[in-house]
Amino acid sequence: MRTGLSVVRVVAALASVAAMAVWTPAAAADKVLPIGVLGPLSGGAAAYGLDTSRAAEMKADEINAAGGLKIGGDVYKIKLIVYDHKASAADAATAANKLVSQDKVKYIIGNTVGATCNAVQTVTEPQKVLFSFMCWGTKNLGPDKPYSFRSLLSQWEVAEPFYRWVKEKHPSIKRIAAISPNDTSGIDTNTAVVKYAKALGFEVVADEYYERGTKDFYPTLTKILALKPDLLDVAAAPAGEAGLILKQARELGFKGAKGWTAGVNPVPMISVAGKEAAEGVWTPANIDVTSEFVSPAVRKFGEAFVARYKEVPGAIAIANYAAFDVITKAMVEAGSLDTDKVLAALTGRPHQTIWGPVVIGGKDTYGIDRQFLYPVVIAEIRDGKLVDLAQVAPIGLKK
Amino acid sequence: MSLSLLVQALLNGFGLAMAYVLVALGLTLIFSILEIINFAHGEFYMVGAFVAYLAFGVWGLPYVVALLAAIICVAAAGVVAERLVFRHLRGKTLNAFIVSLGLLWVMQAAAQLVFGVQDKSVPSAFSGIVRLSGVVISVERLAVTLAAATLIVALYAFLEHTRTGRAMRATAQDADAAALLGVNIEAVSALGFGVGCGLAGASGALLAPIFSVSPSMGALPVLKAFIIIIIGGMGSLPGAVLGGLLLGALEGVGTLFFSSAAVNLLGFLMVIAVLLLRPRGLLGGT
Repeated sequence: MRTGLSVVRVVAALASVAAMAVWTPAAAADKVLPIGVLGPLSGGAAAYGLDTSRAAEMKADEINAAGGLKIGGDVYKIKLIVYDHKASAADAATAANKLVSQDKVKYIIGNTVGATCNAVQTVTEPQKVLFSFMCWGTKNLGPDKPYSFRSLLSQWEVAEPFYRWVKEKHPSIKRIAAISPNDTSGIDTNTAVVKYAKALGFEVVADEYYERGTKDFYPTLTKILALKPDLLDVAAAPAGEAGLILKQARELGFKGAKGWTAGVNPVPMISVAGKEAAEGVWTPANIDVTSEFVSPAVRKFGEAFVARYKEVPGAIAIANYAAFDVITKAMVEAGSLDTDKVLAALTGRPHQTIWGPVVIGGKDTYGIDRQFLYPVVIAEIRDGKLVDLAQVAPIGLKK
Repeated sequence: MSLSLLVQALLNGFGLAMAYVLVALGLTLIFSILEIINFAHGEFYMVGAFVAYLAFGVWGLPYVVALLAAIICVAAAGVVAERLVFRHLRGKTLNAFIVSLGLLWVMQAAAQLVFGVQDKSVPSAFSGIVRLSGVVISVERLAVTLAAATLIVALYAFLEHTRTGRAMRATAQDADAAALLGVNIEAVSALGFGVGCGLAGASGALLAPIFSVSPSMGALPVLKAFIIIIIGGMGSLPGAVLGGLLLGALEGVGTLFFSSAAVNLLGFLMVIAVLLLRPRGLLGGT
């Protein structure tokens, strides 16, 4: 009997030692932090959605590989929950409801297409869900939306420096024609282009819109080109549609300058337009991840992105990666996942990101500081590649 | 407004109208024979475009071969779809509607998985621009119009002057009577569905080099096809051609004066007017 008890004691002791060997404080305290990502992962704007989700994936994997986020006394591993809203506002609202009500997320980091952001915000703002996006709708930011941030320079930050650059470097250009999709992003982009172009002394001969999904632009382009613009700005058209507009404009005989104020993914645009039609397009919202104007961190991000996804990242990917970085660091600094506390940690000071220093400003334009501000890089497409030409500061950053 | 601008606008509208008429004819043929509305018809158009992308854009086969391949492959896919899915839904409009919606999502999702979501570019099959007194005529669009018109004429000849075509027309008029007269309804249904889908596939292959190719590209052409057959008359080949030309004229000329949203609205108002005033369409039968 005594021998049996001794054996039991020895086995129990050995089992305890074995259990302690595999147990670590981290394993016991590891929690899961669900973070939502939205975007058009199919359809004409899919290039935006893919950049958004892939950048989030890269940053989340980096954080998890480094051990997770240490917030307060707990360690959190990030779990991404990604939904495709196909650039439809109705689908975006449904996806947002699912994220907040079912998946219980308090942070959505990544979304594009203005009308979808409007829809998502009807869910996120009342629930105090922190929502960071790259949508270009003007009303996406405002004092009535304190939990919303834009991490990509929008038309209100890039249009003025872009057209100022055009005026200085190409004084023969006098007449501008702008064309965008007929929705929030498109209307807001054209509004900014028209406002700043006129303020700089350009004549805006056309302020046109088309329905998303349009493939045949001959009717609209015939109307525009009859007005003899010096510069055709495909403004907020996504890559596939911008490519078709430029290709068809060339077929109709347009030989003037070309701009793409809101273009953020040149590779698919060039593929659709063809090299000749894409040649010479100026774009202030794009970025060549290998150029001298970008930080070493952006170049490194670009290499890692290409290695993983076999495609070159656009500005949207870099913006969402930076947003993910800034927001998760704010969670750690706040020591809490409470969105009010993270909000306080986010606002009121600059942040170091892969862009370099980023200031969250924009109060003059939006009434609240919720816009990531960093220098604008103006690039030109030459022989199928993006070549950076200049770096200029948006108004808010200059101040 | 100059005359050349007006002519250009009309040419713009007519330029691709025949390609959309092909989609409409396929849709109306399927409805006539099987009495079902195939909401996945745009996806057969998309499959035709992808066949052309692969055959011409990726493998470098001659464009005519790619076009024929698209017609044959999509027609075969149509026959399979009829046999496996739609045969059992003949005359059951609501069930067929729901099933075709499901097929639409399946085909789109499959295309996304295979080809990805990014737009794919197909090289031009015909290059060159002809300029006449300020009017620009794209050789490629002219070729598409001629090819589509040829297929429409071929379809007409098939339906009017071949035994099988007459059997299809008889089935469309009265399937029971046709069966009593010895027509193999099942074979005719399968062939009709195949021909209808083949027409959509042909349109996709013709338009692939002009537009980009993507899994979601079928939505707009099938919407135009519905507008065309409602205006022209369900089951009427001349009606579909007239409907296509009217829609093309509205889009081409209307855009000179109105925004694209307003032009779309006018198109739907035209549909409502036809449905209220002449429900059988301009050239449809009673």
